[in-house]
Amino acid sequence: MRRFEYHAPNSLEEVSGLLTSLGDGAFILAGGTDLLVEIRERLRTVKHLVDIKKVPGLSGITCSAAQGLRFGAMTTAGELAAHPGLAQLYPNLYDALCALASIQVRNRATVIGNICRASPSADTIPPLVADGASIETWHPDGARIIPLAEFFTGPGRSVLRAGEIATAITVPPPQPGSYRAYIKHGRRKAMELATVGVAVSLDTKDGICTAARIALGAVGPVVLRAPQAEALLVGTRLDPKTVTSAAQQAMLECTPISNVRSSADYRREMVGVLTRRAVQQVLEVAA
Amino acid sequence: MTKQDFRIVGKSVKRDDVIEKVTGEGKYTGDYHMPGMLFGKIKRSEIAHAKIKSIDVSKALAYPGVKAVLTHHDVPRVLHYGSPHPRSASCTKDQYILDDRVRFWGEGVAAVAATSEEIADEALDLIEVEYEPLPGVYDIDTAQLPDAPLIHDVGPGGNLVIPPVHVERGDVDKGFAEADLILEGEFAGGRPTPTYMEPNVCVADWDGSNKLTFWTSTQTSFMVRGALAEVLGLPLNKVRVLVDHMGGGFGAKQDLFQHEFLCALLAKKCRRPVKMEFTRRETFVAGRSRHPFKLWLKQGFRKDGTLVAREMKVVFESGAYGSHSPGVTNVGTASATSLYRCDNVRLNGRAVYTNTPIAGAYRGYGVVQTYYALDIQMDEAAEKLGIDPAEMRLRNAVREGDIAPSGHPIIGHGLESCISHGVEAFNWAAKKGAPDRLVAGRPSARKGYGIGCEMHGSSAYPGIKEQGNATVKMNEDGSITLLTGAAGLGTGAHTALAQIVAEELGVTFSSVSVVHGDTDVVPWDIGAFASHTTYMVGTAAKMAAAELRARVLVRAAEKLQEKAENLEMVDGIITVTGKPGTSLTILEAMGPSRGIPAEHLIATGSYMPTKSYSFGAHFVEVEVDTETGIIECKKVMPVHDVGKIIHPIAAQGQVEGGVQQGIGHTLTENYVIDTSNGRSLNAGLVDYKMPLSMDMPDIETVLLEAAPDPGGPWGAKGIGEDPIIAIGPAIANAVYDAIGVRFHHYPITPEDVLNGLRAKQKDGANAGL
Amino acid sequence: MTKTVLDLVVNGESRSFAVEGHRSLLDALREEAGLTGTKKGCDVGDCGACTVILDGKPINACMILAVEAQGAQITTIEGLQASPDDLHPLQQAFMEHGASQCGFCTPGILIMAKHLLESNPLPTDEEIRFGLSGNICRCTGYTKIFDAIRTAGKRMAETGMALPATKVEA
Repeated sequence: MRRFEYHAPNSLEEVSGLLTSLGDGAFILAGGTDLLVEIRERLRTVKHLVDIKKVPGLSGITCSAAQGLRFGAMTTAGELAAHPGLAQLYPNLYDALCALASIQVRNRATVIGNICRASPSADTIPPLVADGASIETWHPDGARIIPLAEFFTGPGRSVLRAGEIATAITVPPPQPGSYRAYIKHGRRKAMELATVGVAVSLDTKDGICTAARIALGAVGPVVLRAPQAEALLVGTRLDPKTVTSAAQQAMLECTPISNVRSSADYRREMVGVLTRRAVQQVLEVAA
Repeated sequence: MTKQDFRIVGKSVKRDDVIEKVTGEGKYTGDYHMPGMLFGKIKRSEIAHAKIKSIDVSKALAYPGVKAVLTHHDVPRVLHYGSPHPRSASCTKDQYILDDRVRFWGEGVAAVAATSEEIADEALDLIEVEYEPLPGVYDIDTAQLPDAPLIHDVGPGGNLVIPPVHVERGDVDKGFAEADLILEGEFAGGRPTPTYMEPNVCVADWDGSNKLTFWTSTQTSFMVRGALAEVLGLPLNKVRVLVDHMGGGFGAKQDLFQHEFLCALLAKKCRRPVKMEFTRRETFVAGRSRHPFKLWLKQGFRKDGTLVAREMKVVFESGAYGSHSPGVTNVGTASATSLYRCDNVRLNGRAVYTNTPIAGAYRGYGVVQTYYALDIQMDEAAEKLGIDPAEMRLRNAVREGDIAPSGHPIIGHGLESCISHGVEAFNWAAKKGAPDRLVAGRPSARKGYGIGCEMHGSSAYPGIKEQGNATVKMNEDGSITLLTGAAGLGTGAHTALAQIVAEELGVTFSSVSVVHGDTDVVPWDIGAFASHTTYMVGTAAKMAAAELRARVLVRAAEKLQEKAENLEMVDGIITVTGKPGTSLTILEAMGPSRGIPAEHLIATGSYMPTKSYSFGAHFVEVEVDTETGIIECKKVMPVHDVGKIIHPIAAQGQVEGGVQQGIGHTLTENYVIDTSNGRSLNAGLVDYKMPLSMDMPDIETVLLEAAPDPGGPWGAKGIGEDPIIAIGPAIANAVYDAIGVRFHHYPITPEDVLNGLRAKQKDGANAGL
Repeated sequence: MTKTVLDLVVNGESRSFAVEGHRSLLDALREEAGLTGTKKGCDVGDCGACTVILDGKPINACMILAVEAQGAQITTIEGLQASPDDLHPLQQAFMEHGASQCGFCTPGILIMAKHLLESNPLPTDEEIRFGLSGNICRCTGYTKIFDAIRTAGKRMAETGMALPATKVEA
């Protein structure tokens, strides 16, 4: 463990000011469950941590069929998973939250922290991308609302500017006839980083798929959409043959790498299996 | 063995040491915090093989809070054993505390002591090391090439750790000539690590008389004492090694580690206590793993399944230092003389150095590797000959009187009992005979059933001439103190020893307390390893208790004016056979007069074991997802013969924990080293994947007392290592039963499964099926 | 490095000590408060050996800075039993079932199990497995831990130490 200074400002202005004035060695501390690991394993040189827990207005969850979902930067994974209605309205996000690390970690880790870390394998990103979530940010120069699908620029990188703070996530309300699923693939049933994570959100009307969003985790530098696979599903009755060809198309649209967790070939193959299974899961719920 | 009613042995009495574990009061080495204590950290190499051209510690020394820095210039240059087994065949002298050369990525090159752990850690960055890179060797095959870079100047030549081990019995060529079926195959295994929960830790403190007190998490406190004294040039009574509770070891904590020497030297230099605690990452990088291996096996069988010839060549990867490679190579190679009886065997075992982290002792010690191959090939032979796999094993199971790997005759039909019992209890025939392997509700999954067998010696004899000691003394109030050097690494061995003493002596279990873990106080002990504590120290404790009992009864006989042989003692009450109503308490017999005991009652049992073998057969059910390749172990029935069960729950606990580790090794665990540069790729608990609570199958443990061994207390034998051996091949065989794909290696990854299925489909297509 | 005076309630007792900003709650509990029952198995949130309950929620004490816990109520293994002579049903059951071998993971598992059983004393096997999925035990194969938790839960339900069988979310 290396030493660092701890700061606990009371406003977004102060947070932003500290981040700017303290420079490269300063980082936001929210849940800390990734950052403290990176410090201890010497993956990140940290001189200052700026804790945002004392900043008002960053907590709170609203979740309803009419308004959709909104939660603040201090919302932990555990808190969100336990929020009434979340499991029913956003089962994909619920499954992703319950598959994230462990209960103990989920009680500290914030969802927005998981997102801002910008890991391609982060569990919460694929379902939120598939559901068209947006991220709200604050900066002295002005607040922004950024579609989550446009937020990431590479592994560990996002469009956040120096001194800019992610404050909340919003997810549109689930439309009638829409269904969603997230499947995480790992060697163990818990305490896993996703080898591959696939989220599928489908809108249907009278048994016909009207819109499809497939988000693929851990198979590219950022969480990827699979637009051509999605296009194959739209306008169909999601018959097994169509679903299989969409799953095969998704395999072609991902760009996995090989590492100690898996080879690129295996990841690609799993994109096919999981995409098909996620659509099947959606169809079972729809039925 | 005479029939006896047991009052204490065979019952799951409460483990005394567990009270402290469940309240949090138990002191583990890392819990000691002393006034003025400094914290040590090790600078580790970031290159796998290099000469150190220069090392500059001036900036680190000038860093506020740093009290001392040691490099290879500052420490005694004594070539020592990585494993501290004293001058036995199971270790190699090839290590210095710090050398001017590094042989694996992560080897220590310097050590810092500072006023806080954070400062020590920060100071590591200020140490500047200039390396002259040397060509590296990162796998078994490269290590054996004639022009391979050499890792050590010592040793028998090439990158061999020891001269090849050769074992030959009977006439192998004649055996093969008589065979109706000859099978030949290559096998290999990855690098599982013990991954005990307590990272290595030690605290060193020197007193004014130049005596070192050393707390350390070790299975072998007397070996640590010996090695420290030798390297530091001290008599043994100037080194006191202490270990109370320890958080697991599984064999690996019987090496003497670099940080242990460095901690003692830093404390000496600073004249202050120093603590050194591994990070989790360091337990991988600087810890000890099982030996990766490559193996070639050829066996000949008659039509009726009888094994007639076996030839095996195995190479173990030792990593950068020899550590336990001599022992592992000897034990692993010799173990293949047995399990399945075969009169004609020719076995060759080698261990090679590579520039990778050190492989050491780990539960199953060489046997895991060789029996994985034996048991998979046995399955293949059974299929080829059309014999049920369990029946095939019964026909070949080692029997009473066969010559064991140690050269001793096998006692009892333990293996046959385990197989027969399991076949019934697991409902083997019905399961294997089921018409399909489908899984309800999971169209892509297939289930399968497999069997694996094992035998394992209790004690390391004859590799090491072992000795178990125990001292039993009676205090002046009649309470009993047992002193043992056996480490309490979590197995419950101390409770078993106390049960043995109480049973033999004739006192209540609660009147016996155990003192352990202080080399200045307890009798010498070789350490807790080789499944020998209950077997060997248990017998020593029984001997000491018997002597004490005899002396108590002589006293009582005088007081009662009876012959000692007519007396009995149960729960501390002495009675006369056939004379109800006449009795004495142990205190009345021995009790103090004016505070002075009638006699100083102390006895030491000392026992040199020969060898006994425990046996086991594991029956497993797996489910294989043919789309993802994920294998789930759903049910395990381990059946073990332990001769005599001292503490049923503790014995079951050993089995269940061994099964857990074995499942991990076979399916998910592998410490991966980059074969291009020797770097660790997954030194942490997320990417080194041990099975956790949601992954574990139902385990239904069966313990048998089928083959008691006269060398153990009431026939008891070891159980520590056995359960990790048979589970691996049982799983591999079950996977074959499920999907028809044979695997000859571990871990069997999901990707291996999918590739195997594809290859099978292609073969099927090629064969026109 | 700046030190902050930290006021906590640990196991019902008010504690106060000065800590540097970078210190974890785990290090503060072990070294400043002298409560060494909570173990450091990995220091990176992967093993659960340092599980404590902070303001009603189980967390890894290594994954929170001590200063973040300012004013918190914390329960550690040392606070599991009501009094020195009165072992918690979980402690009793762990001893009876042989659920603790080396014991290094035991404090974290007991704390996690306490949290599980207090709201759900009669958990299903799946719920027990899920509840312990962030706690690594390398000795027992978990079998005896599951047994002990079932036994303790029954006793807690009978003696009113836990809520009647109501289910809660993960």
